[in-house]
Amino acid sequence: MRPHVSVLRLPRGPDPNGRGFDPNSPRFIALCPTTISASTETGTDSVQMREEQRARSVLRESFLRTLIAMTNKQVQFHMYERVKVEAKFGASDIDVLNFQVSELHTPIGVQKEALLRCQDVISYSFDL
Amino acid sequence: MAMRQTPLTCSGHTRPVVDLAFSGITPYGYFLISACKDGKPMLRQGDTGDWIGTFLGHKGAVWGATLNNEATKAATAAADFTAKVWDAVTGDEVLTLAHKHIVKSVNFTQDSSCLLTGGNDKIIRIYDLNKPEAEPQEITGHTSAIKKALWCNNDTQILSAADDKTVRLWDRNSTEVVKQLSFDMSVSSMEYIPDGEVLVITYGKTIAFYNALSLDMIKTVDAPASIHSASLHPDKDFFVAGGDDFKLYKFDYGTKEELESYKGHFGPVHCVRFSPDGELYASGSEDGTLRLWQTAVGKTYGLWKCVLPDKCVPFQIMSNQ
Repeated sequence: MRPHVSVLRLPRGPDPNGRGFDPNSPRFIALCPTTISASTETGTDSVQMREEQRARSVLRESFLRTLIAMTNKQVQFHMYERVKVEAKFGASDIDVLNFQVSELHTPIGVQKEALLRCQDVISYSFDL
Repeated sequence: MAMRQTPLTCSGHTRPVVDLAFSGITPYGYFLISACKDGKPMLRQGDTGDWIGTFLGHKGAVWGATLNNEATKAATAAADFTAKVWDAVTGDEVLTLAHKHIVKSVNFTQDSSCLLTGGNDKIIRIYDLNKPEAEPQEITGHTSAIKKALWCNNDTQILSAADDKTVRLWDRNSTEVVKQLSFDMSVSSMEYIPDGEVLVITYGKTIAFYNALSLDMIKTVDAPASIHSASLHPDKDFFVAGGDDFKLYKFDYGTKEELESYKGHFGPVHCVRFSPDGELYASGSEDGTLRLWQTAVGKTYGLWKCVLPDKCVPFQIMSNQ
């Protein structure tokens, strides 16, 4: 019987926990100049960078805190096609692509458990 | 003693893989994108099949996928009536182009400035990616759903294949038909090779080669089974084809002789393409997998290792042929 060609290993499969595009890969680091650059800039630029960094951090932290504050609260979602639904917010996935909700009130009934696609959501509101 | 081919299976998709495309050769190697009915196209390292990332956002089956030469941008065509452009380094969605029906095909110009789309609304569209809000240029004429639309002749012309059993060559500026080929049945796939201006068309059990500028036929070759896709090697010495019988066939382009056939997929083969360096070819199947096959079986390349006899190997894979 003819021998089979040997392989070093099998191709790596997808990571079940994320969508990939490793920001630490050489290609990512080389090709993605972020607005927050670690390389040396001129004096005025680096001041602007730091200000932008600070502003971004504040906004990001506020957003994450709203997600925590929303947990188990009734949230009203305004979505495309003039859809308004209300549900008890559970959690968001790591890429903010889906919101896990319970007791979703829809025009055709109450859904016990559901996932809302974030890209379909225009805005949402809740009482603190 | 001649070695037996060990295909590398890339798993991850959960539905049939219907299209795949390679990028050009970049300083970071070359890349492969796969279109899948599960709506989640994936980017992989071309020479190993290692998964890099999944483009998330489409709400329906993805029918077509492509990369620009530098593998910095990706484009996908889907059943959700949109074509999307992605940053292929970060995986972020950059642009959504709404259409009026299922989009089947997407193709970048050489400089990535324009995107060609085609689909079930029978209209070819040209989008200027520098002015994405502008209305696209439209090319009408096909009387059935468009399967594939490709830039050719230095992006001055467009080749399209549709279910109306025609392949048409259009002038980009005038949007008029320059030449047309008619067939007895629908064309299942089309590949354009800029170097040498060769067009590879498959229909029924036939793989046909045409001059892409004149649409003169060069030759046709018949396979043992109905073929869904074929690809010509960059050096134009071999071509590979796959289809209904789940096998991959390798033919000599010069003599038209069938050289090898390989079993491995568990479903019909929908797409097959040679890598830009010609060292391997990738196939996508109804079975939800992509497989990478060596052009020169036994050569050390990517994850394949040439092992001399009597040497002890720590890890050896036997494929189930």
